[in-house]
Formats: sequence, structure tokens, C-alpha cells
Amino acid sequence: MSTHHTPLYRDTPLILSVSGVTKAFDGFKAIDDLNFYLEEGELRTIIGPNGAGKSTFMDIITGRTRPDVGSVTMHEKDGRDYNLAKLREFEINRRGIGRKFQTPSIYKSHTVYDNLILSLNKKRGVFATLFYRESREDRERIMEVLKTVRLDTRANDLAGMLSHGQKQWLEIGMLLAQDPRLLLIDEPAAGMSDEETERTGELLMSLENKHSLIVIEHDMEFIRQIARKVTVLHQGHVLKEGSFESVKADPEVIQVYLGRQGKRAENN
Amino acid sequence: MIPHFSFLGCSGKSTVKHWICLLITAAILTSAASARDARTVMAELMQAERAEQAGLIEELSTYGDTIIADIYEAWRTGGIYLLEQDGGSQLLQFTDAQEWALVHNGAVISLSEAEAAAAKKQRPARALRKQMKRIIDTLGLKADNTALRIDSAIKLGRSQKAEFIPALEARLKVETDKQVRSALQEALAISWLANGEDAQVVEAVQTLKALNSVAARAFLEELMQAEGDNERVDSSLSDACAEALISIERHMKQQEFFGSFFRGFSTGSVLLIVSFGLAITFGLMGVINMAHGEFVAIGGYVTFLVQNFFIQTWGLSSSAFGWYFIVALPVSFIVAAVIGLIMEVSIIRFLYRRPLESLLCTWGISMVMQQGFRLIFGAANVQVNNPTWLMGNLSFAGFQMSYTRLLIILIALVVVALTWLLLRQTNLGLHIRAVMQNRHMASSLGVPVARVNRMTFALGCGLAALGGAVLSQIGNVGPSMGQAYIVDSFMVVVTGSVGNLLGAGLSAMGIGMVDQLLQPSLGPVMGKITVFVVIILFLQWRPGGLFPTLSRSLDD
Amino acid sequence: MAPGWAVPDALPQSRRLIAQAYVMKFSTEMKKEMGILCLVTGLLMLIPLFNAVGPESGPLSVSAFQVSLWGKYLTYAVLAMSLNLLWGYTGLLCLCQSLFFALGGYAMGMYLMLMIGERGAYKSVLPDFMVFLGYQKLPLHWEPFYNFAFTVGAVLWVPGLLAFVFGFLAFRSRIKGVYFSILTQALTYAACLMFFRNDFTFGGNNGFTDFKDILGCNINSDATIRGLFIATTALMVCTYLITSGLLASKLGKVQQAIRDSENRVLFSGYSTTSFKLMIFVLSAMIAGAAGALYVPQVGGINPSAMEAAKSLEVVVWVAVGGRGTKWGPVIGAILVNFIKSYTTHAFPDYWLIIMGGMFVCVVLFMPDGIVGVYKQAKSYFARQRSLETTAA
Repeated sequence: MSTHHTPLYRDTPLILSVSGVTKAFDGFKAIDDLNFYLEEGELRTIIGPNGAGKSTFMDIITGRTRPDVGSVTMHEKDGRDYNLAKLREFEINRRGIGRKFQTPSIYKSHTVYDNLILSLNKKRGVFATLFYRESREDRERIMEVLKTVRLDTRANDLAGMLSHGQKQWLEIGMLLAQDPRLLLIDEPAAGMSDEETERTGELLMSLENKHSLIVIEHDMEFIRQIARKVTVLHQGHVLKEGSFESVKADPEVIQVYLGRQGKRAENN
Repeated sequence: MIPHFSFLGCSGKSTVKHWICLLITAAILTSAASARDARTVMAELMQAERAEQAGLIEELSTYGDTIIADIYEAWRTGGIYLLEQDGGSQLLQFTDAQEWALVHNGAVISLSEAEAAAAKKQRPARALRKQMKRIIDTLGLKADNTALRIDSAIKLGRSQKAEFIPALEARLKVETDKQVRSALQEALAISWLANGEDAQVVEAVQTLKALNSVAARAFLEELMQAEGDNERVDSSLSDACAEALISIERHMKQQEFFGSFFRGFSTGSVLLIVSFGLAITFGLMGVINMAHGEFVAIGGYVTFLVQNFFIQTWGLSSSAFGWYFIVALPVSFIVAAVIGLIMEVSIIRFLYRRPLESLLCTWGISMVMQQGFRLIFGAANVQVNNPTWLMGNLSFAGFQMSYTRLLIILIALVVVALTWLLLRQTNLGLHIRAVMQNRHMASSLGVPVARVNRMTFALGCGLAALGGAVLSQIGNVGPSMGQAYIVDSFMVVVTGSVGNLLGAGLSAMGIGMVDQLLQPSLGPVMGKITVFVVIILFLQWRPGGLFPTLSRSLDD
Repeated sequence: MAPGWAVPDALPQSRRLIAQAYVMKFSTEMKKEMGILCLVTGLLMLIPLFNAVGPESGPLSVSAFQVSLWGKYLTYAVLAMSLNLLWGYTGLLCLCQSLFFALGGYAMGMYLMLMIGERGAYKSVLPDFMVFLGYQKLPLHWEPFYNFAFTVGAVLWVPGLLAFVFGFLAFRSRIKGVYFSILTQALTYAACLMFFRNDFTFGGNNGFTDFKDILGCNINSDATIRGLFIATTALMVCTYLITSGLLASKLGKVQQAIRDSENRVLFSGYSTTSFKLMIFVLSAMIAGAAGALYVPQVGGINPSAMEAAKSLEVVVWVAVGGRGTKWGPVIGAILVNFIKSYTTHAFPDYWLIIMGGMFVCVVLFMPDGIVGVYKQAKSYFARQRSLETTAA
């Protein structure tokens, strides 16, 4: 079963290149000589067993962790390059990289509406914020996003009151409100019902081409739904890259995913 | 000591005599068993003919009993009387306490007015005085106590009088104690500086250099000055002096540094014990115990109470008293652990993983406890005495280390070892580590989380009290004794990464050391402030402390 | 203010309604708030009014002592509000608020000491303690404090600068939560040790006292006392308006967002360091201003005003009143100090025990303080009423 709407390999400029990145924690190499390239407007899915370094990889792109060696470069449309490894979190975010965390991270004591106001792609300095006045466009933009993530009826509720799935969506909504060039999305379907998961998948696919996306996921059904090109991480480096079907059929990938299970079976 | 006997209601002449005879017999009996004591010799000397005096003086010069000085002083100033009686004569001393005492054994007797009037004042002959003065001056050299011998040697040496040289040399021949020997050598060398021939002086300078004599510095400088003034061609002496001075000064600097280092090490050890408790409750349980300092005070007060119990039961000078500190250690641990347990059950367990609330709540508790101490023990500090076996110093390569501080370091090592064993080798330790890493997971795997929490908190409080008990030996015990340590302990925990005992240990030692090393040059206040600034700057470099823990969750 | 007062027509009907509700809710709340603020200010103004024109005795008489006592409470209230800005709304539990307060107080104290002139015990232009310690001339950093305007500036910038430097270092290295509290406590401790020293040129452990004049007016006259009270009230109203203004702005929202999820704010492109730093400096300045008004009303200051325990007392006020609420800190500061004044007279030995106990109870049983209890009670009765109406 194939749901490909776009060809796997495209001929668009790169938005992100990660080359030769290594990051060790107390001697343990969470990321080991990782090379990764993402094209403009691409939707990339990353899979890999636990401890493969998926979250650390996102941490490195978003500036939460600094790589020991290697470079993380973001390519602007005007041809300029930025070394993300030298920027701080908020600076990276202002360059147009948004991230959704594994556990929903929202402002509990703000209303859903205020959560989105804070996420709008506006000037975010101290004084710019102090003298900020909400414009009509801002309000319309927020309403549009609320509609997209189906929270428009809950605009004035406190975000802390939302269900888990709704919180996940609110966080995606906050990302959309920022209108970033690149979205990093960590396990968006965790804790969602089947129907919610499918809708999330649709939402992500609708973002393709307008934004570039990297999605980390465990749920194979979900991956089948959204997958274009899949990257398999294992022990901190790229094991395989290709279409979902080809990756799924790869013996090495099967070994990595089922290896331990296989061994256990042998032992028994 | 002169024993005091009371003769209430029996002042009759015959009774007195009867008693005197009895005492004399007792004295003879005891002196038969041991050598003649100094009093007897003194008594004989006072009554001896001139010809016999030399022998007695010779004999007296082997005694180190300070009573000789007392009696001689009385003799010289007219406090000794001779009472001629039918049954023989009595030498009596009219003491400062306005009593009559027998010279040969110090027994106090009462005299009738007639007898007192009959007693004749005695004075030493002029020839004797000179000889006696020499004996008195060098008396300290022969004292039983080594510290007294050392003091005396230093005093004699500093006087630089030629007349003491023979006594010093004589003593050096028979002295066996190493420390006293070096003191004697030092005293002799200093004396030679002023009294010897050139060769002897140079030799003395060499000796002083070898001994690293701090006391000799002023004399050496004086000597160099004098040499310079004399404009002597041969400058070998002043060169030797300069060399010796440099060597001595270097030695002093080393000693000072080592002293600060040692003090830092022991201060760090106290900090270590206290902050281990804090690190356990803070890191393992996410509870900031602001009342931790009050548990330190509990340790101090329990030690105080145990001490009082020992004094009341066995008395201050008994040998049992020396054991009080050893007993106080486990007792203070247990008392504080029980109080901590009660606190945990009643209050703390509602505050897990709410660090800010726990900080505020335990601060309230600390207020209550501090005021409680004031109400029970008074606002002033209480007196905790060191047991005698902890007084004194251990001398190692010329460095002095007090036994108290050595013991503190030892206790800290034991605490570290036991804590490590507890956490690594016991079931409770396994549970503690499990709860620390993942409270919910541990709970669902059947770890009795509530029980583990109680034990951990009690352990932390017990360790604080142990710190307090140790602290009672080097610092004050008072209602706010914990406050002085709590800020430092928090610094230790922050610098050493929360919940990391190795980090806590290293930073406790580091902070204790830096603090003590800075204090001599900057003073205690600026020293503390510098340490604080250093910590802030350190955290710029390593925000997570020495051994930061890695976490995947976003908000922690 | 923030979401504007008019609802744009271009929005579809359903969304228009939501936006409208949002604006309306906001404006009615705003009106109510301002009404309460005016009422409180009016009531407070009665105190100096009765002192000036009221009867000499009877229940309506207000003595100068009471005016300055209430003035002191109000400076405490402002101090509590400044902490609330940090702790209540930004989640930073700062334990050096008393230090900022004392620094403001010391700055004002320096001016007041110089205004004594030659009327001191030693009849010297130098403050008494300097004569006593053998100073020959005024230290250089004291000179500008002859100028009142400079003093007012120093009251703000000295605590502000300290907050800036310390905050910059602390926030830059991501020190937060309990660590921030511990380090601020250590800062207070270190500063307190410094001020206790005689050679620090601030009077050692006796500090400053025996003031005579402020701006040429006798500091002990009724009129000056009333003036200081009114100034304190004005400061409190200002602080209230600043707090409200901040909360209504987007900056206030960022502030509270930092409290809830600092990392999310960081990953939304805000430099949380700058925001926290700004609030920290602002809060320090407000505390300094409160301290500056405290000193002339109390008549002196010494290093015990900046002990670490004092900072924690401020935390008690805020917690008792209700943190993260606009009036909670004011209520808490006045109430706790009222109880303190009473108990330190009636049971001097038990004040600390009462305060400690109160604190434990507040943390355990009323996490949102008195205001929280009031809100709970209100919603409880509202529920009851709605149940009754449904039943009827």
C-alpha cells in the first residue's frame, strides 16, 4: 500500500544539513558521526529503537545540547548559512525552527488563546513584548490556527483543562502560529485515540511543501500513513534511509528492531 | 596538693600531738616504699648544717616537683617557722590560706596561740639562696609533664643566660622524650648565640637552622644586626644567620600553609557530614530541608546532655568522662533520626517533589525548633568540654595536628564509608536509589516508597546531628549553631550537583579548604564572600555542578 | 490594553462572539479592579486625615505613632508586592528581597545621616559613627548623598545594579528553582556579613540612627510623618499599577508562561534570561524604594534588616496573603506584621514559634493563602446558590 503523492527524491535546495556530528554523555556516544540532510518542504520521518539518539538529535538541532564535533547548518532561502551549534535556543527558534516535545509542553495557567498569542511570530524582545498590541491580523491568524487544530470553541478555556490529545494539538497549534520553516515533531501521536492520530497525520501531511518537517514516531500505522522518506537511527548514526516499504523490508533494520527479541527466542 | 584535714572540736594539745605522730609514721611508711619526696629533702635542708647542705642541694636538683619552688618562696619571704617542742622540733609553713602546715608532708595542723608565738621565723643563708635560685629556675626542666618541660626549656633558652647552660646540658643527657629534646637543643643553641665563642655560635646557628626554630628568629636577626654594626671582615656568621633565617621562614610558611590546609580539611569534613545529610534529602527526595541546620544543633545539644549525664554520674575528672563523646555520637544520630522520622510522617511526606514548598515549610519548622532550643537551653551557648584524650596535638614532621580535628576527619571517613555501604550494599540502599531515579516506577515495582522515604529522611537528619556532635568539639553549641553551616552546606550541594554524593564530598572538601586557605589573608568575612563569588563563577562554567545529571524530560 | 477594546467586524460570527466575550470579561474586571484600588487608597488616606484634623482622643483619634506604624506596614506591603512579582508571577523564589530593601534603606539612610550635620553627639560634620571610628574626612562615595535627587536615584539603581549583575550571572547559567533560592540566600548572607563590618563605612552593626531632617523638615514632626505615609501609599499604588500593567501586557503573559514552562518559552523564541532579568531588576528597584521609605518612618536601619531570615519573612507574608494574586501580598504583609506586633509584646518568647507554625500551616493547608481561601469560599457559596436555584 502506497500513499505517495510526491516523489521520494526531489530536486529542491537543502534547508538543513547535519554533518559529522558526535555527542557523548559520560563516554556514552548518544550521537555518533551522524550525517543528515533535509530538503526544503520535505516531510521526513525518523524511526529507531529506544536509545538510538532520536531525541538527542532534536536537542542538537534546537540548541538544547551542543555537539562535541560536527556542524549543524541551516540554509536560508537567500543563500546565507547559519551554524546552529553556535546559537542559543531562542535564537534558533527565531531563525524558523519550531519544536514539539514528546510530553505536551504548554502554558497551563494561560487560556488557549493566550498560548497562541505567545507563539506568534512577532518581535520577541523584552520591550517589544511590553508594548505589543494585538492587531486584527494577529487575531485572525490565531483564530485560523485554532480552527486548524480544532480548538476554536475552547479559546477562552485554561490550557491546563484540556485533554491530553488536545494539549498535543495545542502544542502543534503553537508551532503553526509561529509559522516556522522547519518543524521538529517528537511523537505527536502518543496518547491519542485512533481517530485523533489519523487527523494528526492529515494535518502533518497538509503542512508538507509549505514547511519542512521532521517527525519522530514509534507508531508504525501512523508512519505508514505519513511516511515519505524514512531515516532509521541506530546507536547514534543513520542506519538506513529510504521509502517506508524499502526500510521495512531491509534485513539490517529488521535485525536492529527484532534482534534482541530474536536472540531471546534462540536462548529459549 | 596540700590535703585539708579538719580538726573540729579537738584542738587539745595531746590530740594534736597524737595526730602528728600518726602522720609522721604514715609518712615514714610511704617513703620507705618510694624515694624520699621533695618536701622531706627540703625540710632536711632547712635544718641541715652547712657541711651537709651541698649534698642535699645536689639531691634536690634531681627533683622536678614544683612544691620546691613554693616552699623555697615561703622560706625566702619568711613564711617558714621552727617550733621547738619537747618531743623534737617541727618545721611549719604559714600558708597563703592562713593555716599552719608541716613542711615535710604538707599536713595542715592547728597551733595554740602560745605555740604560734613560740614558733621562730626561718631564713635561708645567703650562700644557699644563690644555689636554690638555680634549682628553682631549672625546676621546670625536671617536671613530670612534658609540656611543662618544653615550656621551661624555651623560657631558659630565651633568657640567653650562661648560668642555665649546664642545667640544660645536664637535662639533655637524660631526656628521652623527642619533643623535649628538640626544645632543649633549641634552648641551648639560642643560649650559645649570646654566650659562645665564634665557632660555637656558628654551630648554634646551624643547629637552629636544622631545627627550624621559630623562636630563634628574633635572636638571629639581632645577631646579624650586631655583626653588621661591628663591620667584621669575616661575614661567614652573618651569612649563616641569613641562610638560617630564610630556611626558618620557609619552614614557617610551609607550616602555616599546612596548618590552614589541615584546618580546611577538618572543616571540610564537618561540612561533608552535614551536607551528606542534606544531599540525601535534597537529591534523593527533592525536599529542601531548611531545618537541617537545626538538626545539626540537635546533635550539639544531645552531646551536651550526654556530657552532663556523664559528669553527674561519674564526675568530671573520672576516666569514664572521656568516653562521653564516643557515646554521644550514636545517641545524637538516633535522637535526630527519630525526630526526623516524626517530622517526615507528620509534615514532609506531603511535600515530595515540591522543592519550593518544602523549602518554605521546613523553614517554618526551623524557626519553631530554634526558638524551642532557646526556651529549653537558654539563648546563650552551652559549654561542651573536650574529653582529655582529645586535647593535645599530634606532631608530624614538625607540624601540629590537634587530636580533635584528626578525629573529625576520621569520623567523616567512617561516615562516607558507611553511607556508601548503605547505599550500595544494602536492600534499603537499593530501594533509596530506585526511588531517587523513578519514584513511580519504583512504587509500581513493589518498593515500599513511603517507608523508604521515612528511612531516608531519618538518615539525613541523623547525619546532620552527627555533624553537630562533631562540631561541638571545635565550635560553639547554641540555638543558631546550625545557621552558620546551613548556607555553606547548601553551597556544597549546589556545587557538587544535587543528589550526587561524590560531588557533595568533593565540593565539601573544596569549599572547606578554600575557605580556610583564604581566611589568613582575607579574614573570615571576605574569605566567605570570596568563596561565594567563586561558586557563582564556577556555576557559570558548570551550571549543573560538578557531576550534572542528565535528563530527558523538558521541565526539570 | 492588550486585546484592544473593539472587536473587528471582519471575523465570522462565531469567532466574533468569542473575541467579544474575551474583551468584555477583560474590561469589566479592569473596572472592578480600579474601583477596589480607589477604595483602598481612600481608606488609607483617612489615616493621615484623622491625624491632622481628627479629635485628640476617642476611637477616631490617630496618633503620629500609629501613622508611622501603618506607614511601616505599607512599606512591608510594597516589599511583599515586589517579591510577588518575582515569586508569584514568574516563579522565581528570591531570598534576597530584604537585601534590596535594606540597600534602598541604606541609601536613604546615608542622606539622612548627612542631613544631621553638626547636630550629632560629636558636633562634627561627619556622622557620629565615623567620628567614633576615627575617620578624618567623609569617604568619597558618601559625598553625592548630600544631594537628595542623587539619593533617590541611588535608592533605585543600587539594588537594581546588584540585581542586574547577580541575575545576569544566575540566569545566564540557567540557575533556577530551588538553586536560585539558595544562591540568593547566600548572596544575602554574604552582604549581611559585609555590612556588619565596621570598616565597610556603613556604621557596622549599629547602622544608622538619630535622624533629624528630611528635605529640611523635622523628621519627627506630625506633618512629615503624614507626608511620608502619603508617599508610601503613593508608592504602593504605583507598584500596584505597574504590576497590573505588566500582567495585562504580553510581557506579563510571558512572565507567567516562564513560571509554567520555561523551556517552552525559550523554544518559542523568547530569551527568558532577558525577561527574568528585567523582572528581577524591576522588583529589586521597587524593594529598594520601599526600603527608602521605611528608614525615615522607623528612624534607623542596621544590618539585621538584611538577614536571610528577614527575606524568608517576606516570603511568609506573600504566602499567607496568597501568592500570584494582586492584593494577597498586601493583606499578608499587614496581617502578619499586625500579629507580630501583638505577639512580640504579649508573648515575646513565642513569636518565632507562632510564625513558624503559621508558615507550616499555610504551606500545608492553604497553598493559595487567604485570598485563595476567600476564592474557594466564594465559589463554594456560588455553587450552593446555583444548586438552590436549580432545585427551586
